[in-house]
Amino acid sequence: MKNQWIEFYRGLVTVKASGKGIERFINALTRSGINIWNVKNHGTQSVTFKMKLEDAKKIRSHARNSDCRIEFLRRTGAPFLMKRLLKNSGFAAGALAFVVVILLLSNMVWGIEIKGANPATEYQIIKELDKMGVKKGKMQFFVDNVESIQRTLSNNIEAITWVGVELKGTTYHLQVVEKNEPEKPEYLSPRHLVAKKKAVIVEMFVEEGRPVVEIHDHVQPGQLLVSGIIGKEGQTETVPSKGEVFGETWYKSEVILPLKSTFKVFSGNEKVKHSITIGNLEIPVWGFGKPGFEEYELEENKKVVKFLKWELPVSYVNKTFREREQVTRIYSNKEALDAAKDLARKKIKSSLDENAKVKGEKVLHQSIDNGKVTIAIHFQIIENIAEGQPIIQGDSE
Amino acid sequence: MAKKWGQFVRGWMTKNMELPQDVMMDLPRITMIGQIHIYIENHRGLLAFSDKELRLLLKQGQLLIRGKAFVIKTILPEEILLEGKIDSVTYITDTD
Repeated sequence: MKNQWIEFYRGLVTVKASGKGIERFINALTRSGINIWNVKNHGTQSVTFKMKLEDAKKIRSHARNSDCRIEFLRRTGAPFLMKRLLKNSGFAAGALAFVVVILLLSNMVWGIEIKGANPATEYQIIKELDKMGVKKGKMQFFVDNVESIQRTLSNNIEAITWVGVELKGTTYHLQVVEKNEPEKPEYLSPRHLVAKKKAVIVEMFVEEGRPVVEIHDHVQPGQLLVSGIIGKEGQTETVPSKGEVFGETWYKSEVILPLKSTFKVFSGNEKVKHSITIGNLEIPVWGFGKPGFEEYELEENKKVVKFLKWELPVSYVNKTFREREQVTRIYSNKEALDAAKDLARKKIKSSLDENAKVKGEKVLHQSIDNGKVTIAIHFQIIENIAEGQPIIQGDSE
Repeated sequence: MAKKWGQFVRGWMTKNMELPQDVMMDLPRITMIGQIHIYIENHRGLLAFSDKELRLLLKQGQLLIRGKAFVIKTILPEEILLEGKIDSVTYITDTD
């Protein structure tokens, strides 16, 4: 028998023939080369059989010549299946659209949660995030990665010391540590102010307490500057003394700087490659060929496509090749000295309070040998040297 | 007279030249598989078909098949495959 699967792909019809002379009709069909099969008798004078779809048109002329009436009962096979599929394609399209929508929504930013910031900083952070494009409803593919958000935030916002950015599902969680924590009201206990380090007093602003030293006095570390005990003898009272005592202090800074140094800089040339990875297979989308740089730094940005809470093995990869160049810097002797002084100043400033001032500097010693500059500078700094020292009750009496 | 002579020649040839009879003499070749299948080659057309009976025209005479639940699985101009429960296969020949 024939393989009916092939017929299935081309389509077949079930035909019902009824009337007199069915046998003659069937003979006529077979003789004219029409294949029929599964001939079944259904009661008197009626027969059903199957035939190819392409023969369905030929059958009519044969039927007209005989006394039979024919009727097409069922259409089966691929052509009809296709037709039905096309008719019901709305469902398939709907299902596809559903998956696509879920996929899109799974890869959107749905929330930004900021913890540990006061309202003002929070507003600032939100504005900064807005500028970067981190917004509700944005696709995660077009948003910078977590590290760069973190970097940009901590660079651009003065008020924060550190920010931890974490992407959990569709929500960015930001953990903020502010530089100046909301100021706690000070409840000072009675105290003296004493000197932090060896200095010569230059200026004094005493808000509360009794100053015991004067300008131009030379003080030693731990020496009492402002007493917290006020009032006449016998009627003393202890107060939390408050104030600033500026003293001239001295620092010595030593810097060693090589005359010749090499370091790496980016030339500014870069090449970006976009690709989509499925499992281990990487399909380039845009940016082909080799970077063309001899030395480069590769920054890879990978965005995993998520579906609901699962991560698909599909991801979008963005590679940036940045050209790197080696630069050799050679200082002349004079330049080297200037640079070393500059460095020394910077070093001192970074170790001091904000309100400290450099009053004067004096190069103690400088030498150039073995390709290195060694310089020692003495700095005169004016800074607040007052430090609180609590008055213990037993002491004061 | 000529027809009888032609038949005689064919009969003689098949006997002496060992040729298959169905080819030479237009006889039906019937293959049966138990009671369920019957395969008939060299028929000359359908005469009657119902689910209990199938009558086929042959070169000479007719073939009558009786049984139950007949279904013609395939029908070609000279071949037919019948399925069902076959009870009897009878040759009907005109008396000549």
